[in-house]
Amino acid sequence: MQTRRSTTFSTRRSGQMSRNYNSVSFVSSVKLGPVTHTVLVALMITVLGLIYLTQATKATSYDYAASKIDSQIAELTIQKNDLEVENARLMALDNISNSSVAASMTQPSSTQYVEQ
Amino acid sequence: MNRSTKTMSRTQLLAIGTFVIMAAFVLRLFYLQVIQYNYFAAMSDKEQSRQWKLPAVRGSIYAMNGDAPVQLAMNETRYTVWADPKVVEEPEKVIEVLKKVAGGTVRGNIAELLAKKETRYQIVATKVSYKQAEMIKKEKLYGIGFERTEQRVYPEGRLGSQILGFVNDDGNGQYGIEGALDSRLKGTDGLIKTVADVRDVPLTIGKENINIPAKNGDDIVLTIDRNIQHQAERVLQDNMKKIGAKSGSMLVMNPRNGKIFAMANLPSYDPANLATITDLSVLNNNIISRPYEPASVIKTLTMSTAVDKGVMTPDSKFNNTDFVKIYDRTITNASKGQTGVISMQHVLNWSLNTGTVEVAKWLGGGEINQAARDTMYSYFHDKFGLGKKTGIELVGEAEGTVVPPNTVEGNAVRYANMTFGQGLNVTPLQVASAFSSIVNGGTYYQPSIIEGTLDAAGKVNEASAKNGTQILKKSTSDTMRDMIHKARQSFFADGDRSGYMIGGKTGTAQTIENGKYVFEQTEGTYLGFGGEKGKAPNYVILVTYAAPKRAITGNDAIPSFTQMSNWLIDYFKLQPKGR
Repeated sequence: MQTRRSTTFSTRRSGQMSRNYNSVSFVSSVKLGPVTHTVLVALMITVLGLIYLTQATKATSYDYAASKIDSQIAELTIQKNDLEVENARLMALDNISNSSVAASMTQPSSTQYVEQ
Repeated sequence: MNRSTKTMSRTQLLAIGTFVIMAAFVLRLFYLQVIQYNYFAAMSDKEQSRQWKLPAVRGSIYAMNGDAPVQLAMNETRYTVWADPKVVEEPEKVIEVLKKVAGGTVRGNIAELLAKKETRYQIVATKVSYKQAEMIKKEKLYGIGFERTEQRVYPEGRLGSQILGFVNDDGNGQYGIEGALDSRLKGTDGLIKTVADVRDVPLTIGKENINIPAKNGDDIVLTIDRNIQHQAERVLQDNMKKIGAKSGSMLVMNPRNGKIFAMANLPSYDPANLATITDLSVLNNNIISRPYEPASVIKTLTMSTAVDKGVMTPDSKFNNTDFVKIYDRTITNASKGQTGVISMQHVLNWSLNTGTVEVAKWLGGGEINQAARDTMYSYFHDKFGLGKKTGIELVGEAEGTVVPPNTVEGNAVRYANMTFGQGLNVTPLQVASAFSSIVNGGTYYQPSIIEGTLDAAGKVNEASAKNGTQILKKSTSDTMRDMIHKARQSFFADGDRSGYMIGGKTGTAQTIENGKYVFEQTEGTYLGFGGEKGKAPNYVILVTYAAPKRAITGNDAIPSFTQMSNWLIDYFKLQPKGR
């Protein structure tokens, strides 16, 4: 890369320079034309678009995960309700009173009460 | 034209061409996206947006099991199995699997249904349980699908069926609690409106998504105690056989707050099996919906009125002649021979009609005049609540009738009859509620069957307590409780446990045929209380039996009361005091 050295002088009053300081600037010889600028802008837009798409797709992927979990919850709720119904049927008084355990029970011969 | 001019011209042509094409695109896009925006947005919305109803879960109905709630009505998921005959490849295997797994729920003509290859949807089994559906799914039958449905189930079968009611095919509650509290039990459906993919999975993209969660129905807890209800139904069933009754009812309530422990009616029905009902009258809860003449149990109300008004004590005397004439009508006693000067306690013990007619006369200063009738009406109707709906939280409560004294029908003859429970139509619930106020210290409580609601943590949130109304002096209640206790002790206390305060009164109601009372068909009632001595009673029991063309008396109902009373003493763990 080719650089060009230049020395400029400015007065103290300018406030930009101090004594014994040199001001040096490098000017690039590479120049970007309008096509390059257009391509760069297009690339930036594309990258931003891709970032947006990634985020949007990510949100949608959560929807699928949520939907799957909802289905699992619904399935488990059905199973829970099914078991509750089964439990209620097994605990029904007719079932209990007709059970072998109930059949083997006997009436108490006497009852003692604690004095209050 | 030189070379450079030609080159420029081509470039320009290309640029112009490109510009024109791009301009066409831009214009077209402008037309589609700006001018036609609403049209395509609506089309897109129609294509992509889906709307689902989130059905609210119907609340369960609970009874108390001692201190803990237990479910009497709940929901169960069932499946309807359908087939697409066009794509079913192995109909024989489908039939074999379904019959093996789902048995009786499979349609009898399943082979015919599967043979209809021109159709795409045939229901081949209904009400398949979750487990059965899972077993069928494991077989991976091609062309078989499942539809989920909710079904109301009653795990206790017929227990308290008239209290519960049922849910019809449209999901609406009918009769009982299901009917009375239908909107509370149903809840409110929710809604999801959102963009969905091709598989109908809801997506969060879109600006107009709606998500209104369903509000499930309340879980209602009844004051009914499952064990007391079961025992009441068992006692009714046993005694109906013994006395030859065709119907019977038993009400057990807490006189201290009006809460119903049990409300049993036989015959009953299975709310999950409505197709088996042949007589629709079994759907009615006779305790609240069938007014009747309760007969002599009303004597306790008549005497309470007189004691409260200060015109009678248990020792008040009158000369009994076994008949009394009111205008052109002669009123007689069923139990004859207790003639002469006798006390009001004696009248109650022997259930003498002439005695309570005398009491009505005392209310009018010696005759059943306007003042006597007004007083009786104000107590019977206004204070005891006879002839008025109690407001219990059930469907189908009847009002009954107590004829006002300022009407032609409300004459002295009618009011004389009313003193012993004829000439008025009231429900057993009205009578038991009034009786409760007589024995509990004089406070009338509106009967209630709702304990509260069950929250998500399983805790019962009690409904706001209903305040009672003091309708009688406490001294009146004390006097009457003692009189009713003595009335039972005089004849019917053989089966009672000693050490408890138990009392009751019989009632034998003649029924009316062709406008006349007949003795061949009577309905027997027994109304009583029980509990620890020195305290307000723990329970009030009303039992009634009837049968067509059969004379069933109040005495027939006594063993049922005794059986139930003794059982309740054990169930409530009441402690005896003295003898």
